[in-house]
Parts: sequence; C-alpha cells; structure tokens
Amino acid sequence: MATLNENDLKLFIDSIRHYLKVTTRQEPQITSAFLGTGDVEGFEFNGIVTFSGSHNGNVIVSMPARLVREILLLQHETDLSDSNLLDAVGEIANTLAGNARKALGPELQISVPIKLHGVQGIKARVRKHPYVITLRWNHYEALVCVDMERRH
Amino acid sequence: MRLLIVDDSNMIRTRISRVVQNGGLKGVVLAGLAKNGVEAVRIAKATHPEVVTMDLTMPEMDGIECIQALLKFDPKINILVVSALSDKSTAIQALKLGARGFVAKPFTDEELQIALLDVADAR
Repeated sequence: MATLNENDLKLFIDSIRHYLKVTTRQEPQITSAFLGTGDVEGFEFNGIVTFSGSHNGNVIVSMPARLVREILLLQHETDLSDSNLLDAVGEIANTLAGNARKALGPELQISVPIKLHGVQGIKARVRKHPYVITLRWNHYEALVCVDMERRH
Repeated sequence: MRLLIVDDSNMIRTRISRVVQNGGLKGVVLAGLAKNGVEAVRIAKATHPEVVTMDLTMPEMDGIECIQALLKFDPKINILVVSALSDKSTAIQALKLGARGFVAKPFTDEELQIALLDVADAR
C-alpha cells in the first residue's frame, strides 16, 4: 500500500475548484490542505464515494446546508429539501471521484455515492490521518476529505 | 424528438430537463426521467425515445449495461453519455458500445446544449 502524494492531493483541489467554477461560475478559495491528525469536523451534508480497484479509501464532500442551497439555486433548482441537498452533495462527491480517474487511471473503481446527514457523519467514515482540503465559497466554509491509498 | 434522461442524481436529471426545456432546443420533448438503468429500459420500452442522456455510475444497472440493453432493444437510439468518469478509456468504451457522444461532468448548460444538438443531428 502507498499513501497519496502531493500531486494526488492537488488533483482533488483542482477538481473541487473546477466543479464550483463550472457549475456556479464562482471559484472557491482553497483555505488549507493538510494531513489530518485528529477528528475531522465536518458539516451537515456529506457525500461519500468509496474507491476500489487500484486504490482503497474514499472521498468525502462535507458542506453546510446554506452552501448546498446556494449551489442548487444557482442551477435554478426549486426543490431545496434535505433529501435534494443530500443528493447534490453526493453528486459532487461522485464528480470529484469520477474525475480522479483521468489522472489515476481506469483501474480506479468508484461506488455510487453514499449520503449522510449530520455533522457526525464524516467522523464515522474517516480513518486517523486523512487529507483534508478546506475551502470557502461565497462566504461559506466546506471541506473535502481524501482518505485513500494505492493498492499496488 | 423524445428525450429520456438517465441519472441517479435528481439534481442532474432536473438540470438536464431544464436545459432542454428552457434552452431553446426546439422539438425536444421529455419522454421520461430514470434514476438507474433498470428504470431506463422500462421507460424506453414504453416511450420509445430517440435520444437518451446516460450517466454511467448508477445503482441497480450501470450506464454501460444500460447502453447495451437499450441498443439491443432499439439500435437507432442516440445515446449521449453524461458522466464524471472523464478518462479517455471510459469514453472510448461507451462510444465503442454505440453511444454517439460524451459530456464530462461538471458541464455548462452550453456544453450540454451543443452535445445534445450534435447527437440529435446525427440521427
């Protein structure tokens, strides 16, 4: 097993930046990217995609309700129910994971997204030392947690 | 032209539907919305869409299996893959199976409109 390197992490930074730029026309500010050493404090809405094949692990997108609502409103979405917010954050995680195959190769298999509501959701999913990317978009904080390792 | 939208995300299904209905794609009528491949095949058999937008990563039946099932049912269906799996080999696999186009997520409304028009023109 091999842990991620700097380029792998940059891949996810670029990916979330690109996602928000394309879907909202407003790029996020990446406020930090670090190797987590304790509990990761997430937000209410969590989308998780699990990796298999060439890598093990997962990517988690964790966002507050207000941020997800803004993203949906900018896409002229009128259904702002919790289930639709969860759907949206799951789709963002799916997009980041899917886009990662471009750099990490087609042997990277990705699951359909799992969606978790509640700030405790992220804590149950990450191992001890995930990479954490924090960002600010339109005054709202969010994070992307990348917890994966190469199998070969 | 009847369009079937296949994606496990409600956000994406609604967005594609809105782009089609508000984006000036004349003559496009929504035939149905499906959240997985199984639903897509069932709706396609009932509504006979000419164009399908197809996600790849979905529960129940994924997009690759669904492309095969739909083209077996009706080889004339024009399929536009709309997927986050943006690596070259996935796109090539989908095109080899008979898909007519590929749009990588995330996409702009304009990118989707152009791709849909291209696929529709290919009929």
